[in-house]
Amino acid sequence: MKSFLVAALASSILFDGLAGADEGLATDLFADAPPIRIESVRARYTHYDQTGLGYQSQAGPTMGPGLENATVEQAQLEVVAKQGKLTHRLWVPLDVITAASPDAIDGDFRIGVDTVSQASRVNEAGSIELQTTYQADSRTAAFVRAGFHIEEMFRSWVVGAGFSRSFADDNAVFAASVNQVYDWFDTFLIDGERVGHGDRSTTNANIGLTQLLSPTTIAHVNYGVTLQLGELSNTYNSVPLVTGVRGAELLPHLRQRHALVARLAQWLPWNGAIHLFYRFYADDWGVLAHTVETELYQRLAPTVYVRLNYRVHVQRAVDFYTTLAPDDGSFRTGDSDLSAFVAQTVGAKLSIDFPSRGRLRDAHFDVAAERYFRSNGLRASIASCAVGFRF
Amino acid sequence: MRLPVRLPVRLLIGLLLFGSGCAIVPQNRRMHLADPIMSFEEDPTETHRKQKFYTSREAAAGGDGAVAGGGCACQ
Repeated sequence: MKSFLVAALASSILFDGLAGADEGLATDLFADAPPIRIESVRARYTHYDQTGLGYQSQAGPTMGPGLENATVEQAQLEVVAKQGKLTHRLWVPLDVITAASPDAIDGDFRIGVDTVSQASRVNEAGSIELQTTYQADSRTAAFVRAGFHIEEMFRSWVVGAGFSRSFADDNAVFAASVNQVYDWFDTFLIDGERVGHGDRSTTNANIGLTQLLSPTTIAHVNYGVTLQLGELSNTYNSVPLVTGVRGAELLPHLRQRHALVARLAQWLPWNGAIHLFYRFYADDWGVLAHTVETELYQRLAPTVYVRLNYRVHVQRAVDFYTTLAPDDGSFRTGDSDLSAFVAQTVGAKLSIDFPSRGRLRDAHFDVAAERYFRSNGLRASIASCAVGFRF
Repeated sequence: MRLPVRLPVRLLIGLLLFGSGCAIVPQNRRMHLADPIMSFEEDPTETHRKQKFYTSREAAAGGDGAVAGGGCACQ
């Protein structure tokens, strides 16, 4: 309840600021106060099961890689409501993680630590986010959002704003957004001792353009830049040192990240569609990555379709990735996520819509399964299903 | 530490020029484009599950309108 109030308050403050700049807009928004009408409700449940080895984990030999085994149960609820020219989106994801948690080093650190495996503890994480979109006219929309995230040793606040405007009889849509995230968390020594608090700031800006290329083709490009400041490690990752012991991961306190995405959707004459996705990524830690994904849709009936998807991701390691670091205080990480690897994902999804009568416009059900595997040994199986209703 | 941004900037400019040269598609010829299977984001909850998974396991994230980093303890 407290987190909901925080999100609602932040959203209200932001929106008040926007409306305050234009008295006419404020009158337009709040004078008549149209009633809120629930438009849709959707719930999704996802299960992740991960295995692998990484040098940041202490769940293994002192100088070798440790286990990265983890399971995650994730539930999401999304409610969309209309209120005149306003559309409110309330979104609540909850994660229950049986690994990858500092819970495992939160006991008696003198008897040994296990930061990312054993699954002997459970870490719960939850968020609440409210986004309000104002449809100024048929071509222009603006939104503000605010959210709060909580884990046992971690708090995070996010605010954001953006707008979109269509041109050329809706053939092109330009969109821009900015986001600010502030994270506040406990910091640890790698033996599990809590040593205070750390924080990080993440500032993000995006611009995008969606363009109709033909009666059967849509293209989209988006560029995003992100600047991160502060403690960028989770502080309990470790690195094997040449001295025969483990030391703490040491990361720069500044990271500048750039990503460019291009998408293409092509309708196929046999009631299908193909989506192509490419992302180029570069940051000042030395990571350079290319991601290609394709999704093939096929309608089996007017309300039923299947989707097959394949994704490949190739990335270069950060400049300071190592599996055996000198003990000289220089930047170092053994995190397998920051190493060089090739990752592939294959998956399938079945989606069914059930048209209804009366107040319920339709009901939706989908189920999906994916397998993720990396060249450095990480494997994950993902199963997900969703139900939704439109009113 | 270096930042090879020339390539994506050139790609972005090229794609924008490419898009700006497209013919107008009239409203009455957008039947196929309106099919939900043509949407880039058919379900925000599915988009989130994918973003969360990849953001927490790969060093390269962002570019899709969402924040790249922060917001969870998984880096």
